[in-house]
Amino acid sequence: MKIYSIAFQSLRRRKAKTFFLIIGLFLSVASVVTLITVSANINKSVSANLDEFGANIIITPKSEQLMINYGGLSLGQVSFNNSQLSDNDLQKIDMIKNRKNLSIISPKLFETVNLKGKDVLIAGVRFSKELKLKKWWVINGKSPLSANNLLLGSNTAEALNIKNNDTLVIKDQQFVVSGILSNTGSQDDSFIFMDILMAQTLFHKPAKISLIEMAALCYDCPIEEIVSQTASMLPMVKVTPIKQNIESKMMAVHSFERFSLGISLVMLITSFLMVFANVNASVTERTKEIGIFKSVGYRNSHILKIILTEVISASLAAGVLGFFVGISMAKLVLPFLSMQGINSFSSDFTTLPVAVVLSLFVGITACIYPAIKASRLDPTVAFRFI
Amino acid sequence: MSLIKIENVRKEYKSGTEIVTAVNNISLEIDRGQFITVMGESGSGKSTLLTMLGGLSAPTEGKVLIDDINIYTLSQNSLSDFRREYLGFVFQSFHLVPYLSVEENVMVPLAVGDLTGQQQKELVLAALDSVHLKEKANRLINELSGGEQQRVAIARALINEPLIILADEPTGNLDSKTSEDIMNIFHFLVNKGKTMLLVTHNKEYQSFADKKIFLKDGNLYGGD
Repeated sequence: MKIYSIAFQSLRRRKAKTFFLIIGLFLSVASVVTLITVSANINKSVSANLDEFGANIIITPKSEQLMINYGGLSLGQVSFNNSQLSDNDLQKIDMIKNRKNLSIISPKLFETVNLKGKDVLIAGVRFSKELKLKKWWVINGKSPLSANNLLLGSNTAEALNIKNNDTLVIKDQQFVVSGILSNTGSQDDSFIFMDILMAQTLFHKPAKISLIEMAALCYDCPIEEIVSQTASMLPMVKVTPIKQNIESKMMAVHSFERFSLGISLVMLITSFLMVFANVNASVTERTKEIGIFKSVGYRNSHILKIILTEVISASLAAGVLGFFVGISMAKLVLPFLSMQGINSFSSDFTTLPVAVVLSLFVGITACIYPAIKASRLDPTVAFRFI
Repeated sequence: MSLIKIENVRKEYKSGTEIVTAVNNISLEIDRGQFITVMGESGSGKSTLLTMLGGLSAPTEGKVLIDDINIYTLSQNSLSDFRREYLGFVFQSFHLVPYLSVEENVMVPLAVGDLTGQQQKELVLAALDSVHLKEKANRLINELSGGEQQRVAIARALINEPLIILADEPTGNLDSKTSEDIMNIFHFLVNKGKTMLLVTHNKEYQSFADKKIFLKDGNLYGGD
């Protein structure tokens, strides 16, 4: 028999005490694991939803501008050294390290045409990407299905007096208006949207792009990192993160994390107090037993070892049990939160060592004072109970 | 040469604001292999004297020398080791560890030693055999009678082959027949060379004693 055998027998045969010791730690570990897992799943979902709710990186051609003053008279800005984006740049973006974090890449070509005596802006887009990027669009009619379909902004449709299914001739090419956007209050109200390949052909700008909008999933990577990777891949263009958009997204994501952290801390403190009270009461109750150990020649360190072995064993069991129950609870709880976009549950097994370490930390810190108190117990005090 | 030497030992306790003298200037010598009975009324200082001899409570004044070692000059760890090597305790209320079996209770002093499991087992079975409890080695404590529990406590006190056995009212909770059995065991141990200090109220046990100590209000009186 060794010292730890005494601790194990104590755990094995004092079942009620062991149960309450484990349950105190188990409840907090299970709650923390549940919160972490729920929070991680919600964060991913929220992050994905928010990222699809608009671009957060804009790529434009690099140009230099100079303010011209002549004889004290301002002649306005002059742009020079204009570079242009092309389809090749899209392929280069595909090669950046964090490509998986880019949920949408939407290239655009802007041109102007004169229709019915009015100058109108044409935006060549990939409708499959653009519709995903601008989920707030409400289309009266249908989404464009072919290259000959157009989508009109509300102001343009009104100015040209065009309705759904009307035909429109642009540069000798006949188009059918498949849908008209409801008022968005943005520049989109003044555009005519057409397929980008058609626009490149029609305006004799094969493979040319005016700008690229990207939506980055920034849950597990800094957006600045993606910007930097893109900029180094495309040195001749300007990559601009839309900070406000990113920060509001990250704020929403982090608010869940802060909430979870707060609740977890409360749970841990509660658990700490439960274990402390349990071990402290146990030490008082075991004063006689400690007296026996001391009378047969146990050192203070031997008493400390017995109590610590008990608490460490209970903490390990509570940590492992708490992890699996916490994961199961998260799986049960998530559907009731009715968060949009939570379609799949992901559990992270790297949380297991974290749960065990957490349980050990709470268990050991809560028991260290009562354990030291027990080990230093004056044998004569213990013997008053004998 | 004396195995135990107590020189001018005095023990004071603080009880509230009052200082109580439990043992007052006692000196005595006990030889190896002697059976000593310590008698006196409740509160006379018998148990205090025993705890001082057991290295559990330092005297306020005076020296306790065992085998020429001034035990209260030892460090805390050395004093613990000394207790394990030299002393075996037997108490009135047995004081066994309730969640350990008979065998494990007897093994408790060995758990901090260097013996292998097999060596421990052999010693425990021999100790249990000497108190006629070998067949109940795997029982839990609450499955034993009072007399059996006291015999387990004696086996535990003997397991480290101590030179001295300190027994504080060991038959106080036992019937007369069982008490007689326990006293016979003690007598047998003294015959085997152990030194025995028995605190008791029972005058009949004086017949076992080589030396009788009487205490009254912390002072020695009478005796031989």
